[in-house]
Amino acid sequence: MDADQRRRQLSAALRRVASGDRAALRLVYDETSAKLFGVCLRILNDRSEAEDVLQDVYLNVWRKAAGFDENRASPITWLVAIARNRAIDRVRSGAGARLGAPIEAADEVPDPAPIAAETIEAAQENRRLYSCLEELEMRQQAAIRSAYMDGLTYEELAERSNVPLGTMKSWIRRGLAKLRRCLER
Amino acid sequence: MSDTDRKDSEGMSLTAAEYVLGVLDAAQRRAAERRIGRDAAFAREVAFWEERLGGLAGAVPEVAPPQRMWSRIEAALGRASASAEARVGLWQSLSFWRGLALGASALAAASLAALVYLGPIAGPSVPLVARLDAEGGRAGFVAAVDSGGGSLTIVPAALLGAEQKSLELWLIPPGDKPHSLGLIDPNRPVTVKVPKDLLARVNDEAVLAVSLEPEGGSPTGQPTGPVIANGKLAQL
Repeated sequence: MDADQRRRQLSAALRRVASGDRAALRLVYDETSAKLFGVCLRILNDRSEAEDVLQDVYLNVWRKAAGFDENRASPITWLVAIARNRAIDRVRSGAGARLGAPIEAADEVPDPAPIAAETIEAAQENRRLYSCLEELEMRQQAAIRSAYMDGLTYEELAERSNVPLGTMKSWIRRGLAKLRRCLER
Repeated sequence: MSDTDRKDSEGMSLTAAEYVLGVLDAAQRRAAERRIGRDAAFAREVAFWEERLGGLAGAVPEVAPPQRMWSRIEAALGRASASAEARVGLWQSLSFWRGLALGASALAAASLAALVYLGPIAGPSVPLVARLDAEGGRAGFVAAVDSGGGSLTIVPAALLGAEQKSLELWLIPPGDKPHSLGLIDPNRPVTVKVPKDLLARVNDEAVLAVSLEPEGGSPTGQPTGPVIANGKLAQL
């Protein structure tokens, strides 16, 4: 199934969820739960917490599906946003629970994998984003990607990269401003 | 645009990006969420970043959640809909059930008997059955597929009356749209023939659903009314 077709099917399933169709929620779950669980797990770094959040995410999808507007958002980014927000809120409420950062993720801050190699599908769907990220300084793009994928605060990012807080803030803020200008072009 | 305006707009975009990126602390996140509610320009900026940065999620590896996860979600949904306000679509089905479900327990017993009766039809291969739950987790219908998979018998588990609407049965294979299996009767068992092109899709991956349609069935070929019961096919 190509990306376009998948997007249309997911949008159609979300419309049915909005009308109270539980079978459609199951379809959405089957199609997206591995991605959303991966996203939650990456941020929470704890399977049981990630399971709690995942349950919460689909209850939210059930309640909020009517708010999904396929003309404004793609279904998968809409779902990912819900999952990330829930997972990040959970981490922020249990402050300090994650200070033992995952080794795999810690490795990634100073030495990010080449972007093009990450996933072909992601690169194809988001060529623009990736080409704009490439224009940033290496440490800016590494910090932005790590912040997004690991759901870290400025403080946590600074600590992991072993730089002062102000430096981390300025890397990310300048990176975001430059990214914005590039994405608008 | 004056310099001050430009500064404001850049500041707004930056805050939106920081919120979406997830670098803000809990208090700042709450403040950003309140702002989404009252500041349309800020909300658009958040949507912009969610859509654009969403591409980064493509690089996060997928991890299959444990098998039990879906039943947990279903159970939580049941609790939520039993306690919370019913949503419009469900409310329709709820009143539909309330108005028409009389003597449900007697009928549930009858349909269990019917299911036992259906047992031998299933023959030597592993029989497929489904319990189609209605709002609140009560059994709405019980369905059994015959051994060849060529037909399917569906039995109402609650007594329903006449209504100027039709009930339509749908087969929903994973990742696919619903396929109509025809109209069913709310008051007696009905055996429907599975169309040839769907034979291979009748397996324990598929979901059966019953929707409330205008008399004569869905005019569009897809469910148009509320789904009043659904359940996954499972091996008996």
